[in-house]
Amino acid sequence: MDIIVVEGLVKVYGGRRVIDGVSFRVRSGEVFGLVGPNGAGKTTTLRIIATLVKPNEGRVLVNGVDALAKPVEARKFLGYLPEEAEVYPRLTGYEHMLFHARLKCPNSYREAVSRGAQLSGLGNRLHDKAGEYSKGMKRRLLMAIALMTKPQVAILDEPTSGLDVHASYSVRKVIKEYSKEAGAAVIISSHNMLEVEHLCDRVAFINNGRIIDSGPPTELMNKYSSANIEEAFIKAIEASAI
Amino acid sequence: MSDLTALLWKELLDLSRDYKTILTTVLLPLILLPILGLVGIILVSQQPATVALVDEDYCESTNSMLNITISSRQVAEALYEELGKRGFKVIESNDASVVDDPLIDLVVVVPRGFAANATSLSSTASILVIKRANVQASAMAEQAVREVIGWLSYSLARVKVDALSRYAGVEASSEAILSPIIVQQEIVTIVGEKASVEEELKGLLARFLVLALGIVVAPATSFIVDGIIGERERKTIEMLVSLPIPLSKIIYSKILAATVVGIIATLSDVAGFLTYIYLTLLVYGVQLMLFIDPLLLVVHAFTSFLTILTSVAIAFPFITRTRGIRSASNIAGIVTIVATVIFFAGFMVDYYKLPMNIRTPLYLIPFTHSVLAIQLYAVGYRLESLLHALTLLALSAILLLLSIRTLDSEKILVAPPS
Repeated sequence: MDIIVVEGLVKVYGGRRVIDGVSFRVRSGEVFGLVGPNGAGKTTTLRIIATLVKPNEGRVLVNGVDALAKPVEARKFLGYLPEEAEVYPRLTGYEHMLFHARLKCPNSYREAVSRGAQLSGLGNRLHDKAGEYSKGMKRRLLMAIALMTKPQVAILDEPTSGLDVHASYSVRKVIKEYSKEAGAAVIISSHNMLEVEHLCDRVAFINNGRIIDSGPPTELMNKYSSANIEEAFIKAIEASAI
Repeated sequence: MSDLTALLWKELLDLSRDYKTILTTVLLPLILLPILGLVGIILVSQQPATVALVDEDYCESTNSMLNITISSRQVAEALYEELGKRGFKVIESNDASVVDDPLIDLVVVVPRGFAANATSLSSTASILVIKRANVQASAMAEQAVREVIGWLSYSLARVKVDALSRYAGVEASSEAILSPIIVQQEIVTIVGEKASVEEELKGLLARFLVLALGIVVAPATSFIVDGIIGERERKTIEMLVSLPIPLSKIIYSKILAATVVGIIATLSDVAGFLTYIYLTLLVYGVQLMLFIDPLLLVVHAFTSFLTILTSVAIAFPFITRTRGIRSASNIAGIVTIVATVIFFAGFMVDYYKLPMNIRTPLYLIPFTHSVLAIQLYAVGYRLESLLHALTLLALSAILLLLSIRTLDSEKILVAPPS
């Protein structure tokens, strides 16, 4: 079942079409990757799905709900981790979780917080002020917040951006386990091709606001006779330019 | 727990740990206002002022008809004693050239012929006061000298009148001769009811409370700037606005938190101000409660709340459409300046007494209603005061609703192009 339907998205900023007819669908239990260079339109696309930015054209359905017409309703199915999200330095990790859980699932927030504590892997440090966390710990905390309510769709914008090898590995593990256990759709954006190759069931190459190709990583590598997804991406861009 | 309560919980928890904000908003005014006031009083009282007395007359004169004897020494000694009691340093000098000494703030010269003129019935005795321009201590000493000389002059006039009436064999009261017309004062409220002196002091307090309204605007608008633009720049706002709650609730929680900051600032400023007054009055032995009207303080707190709402409502649409914290702070600064001008004018002018053609355009500035709510309450127009408070409430509600309706998460997330 397609839990996310994106059709003909167009977004214009200052006369420039930063998103130009983006369409794709994501099924439940699938990890879908948006791959492209900086400025390709990944973040804007994810923000439109997360109902934070309105497109000039197109439509988005989240679990059958028109996300543009009923954004608050659509957000109930979403967990969102922005690319450059930061923490409130004076609140503890636990208080961050409590705050988000009370607003996302007021009737079962305790369970959500306990799941979040587990997902974050922060242990006793969860009761320290988040301003004292390392970058990796902050990212794990925010990731746990995005996933603790078991959203049917998790939107993760550059989840490992700026993290070291250990922290990136830990975050990727959490994403993989989450998609398996919760059977949820995960949309991630990344310009780290290896990450996408190992994590995603299906990827879409995006460049200059357009999806130039999409499919499972192995299929795309075969299609472009490439040894890895990075090479396939370069060839796809070259092919689209012809 | 409702959405708004949860949002407010986060805002207040964060605020309660922001020790620098608490220190500057609450503790500093609470401690600094009384200290600054007292330091001012102490500095004024400790301001050294030196008065030189020059007795050029140095003689005694008697009017045998009136049976009065005056000596210039008597006057000099009286001045010496009274000025000394008031904390002035008094020195005696032989001639007026002492004015060349910059350490002397005021020179008082009892000129030749003083005693003769003072005892005369046909001429006036004069005392020369040489005052330095633009020297505070000199002005203070001059004021004290005038008071002492005034008292001496009046006493001498009474003695002369009494002697003349005895001489003429008529029964006359020196008061009736010296002050044949006096002003009697009765204080009434604006509706004509008898009022005490304390009522007037309450009015004075109300003026200070109008002035104090200016203090609440700055922290409240700064908090909103930080709550929106600060969260955008610290990159915490995106997760916040992605929560499944309407954006309006997030904004309301921030406005409520800003109001809390403003109210705390008001309470601490008023508490600091009252502590200062209390300490000052303690010196003069006046009971503070004589002129503190608890209801007036309640009206002030309520008006402060509405003033904060209005300030935030005016600044909000501009703040959310600016690029960064600097331009947003400038906008908050402009709102604060407009409010301060209106409140400062309200300290000196009774807005309700202004002619309608001046008052009507002023009504367009919401802060005018803040001033009127307090001023009208202080003079006894309670219903009118309430009406202005409600106008303020309605204006801020309309402004807020309009600005929230024209706002979406994209405007908050993405800074507009420069």
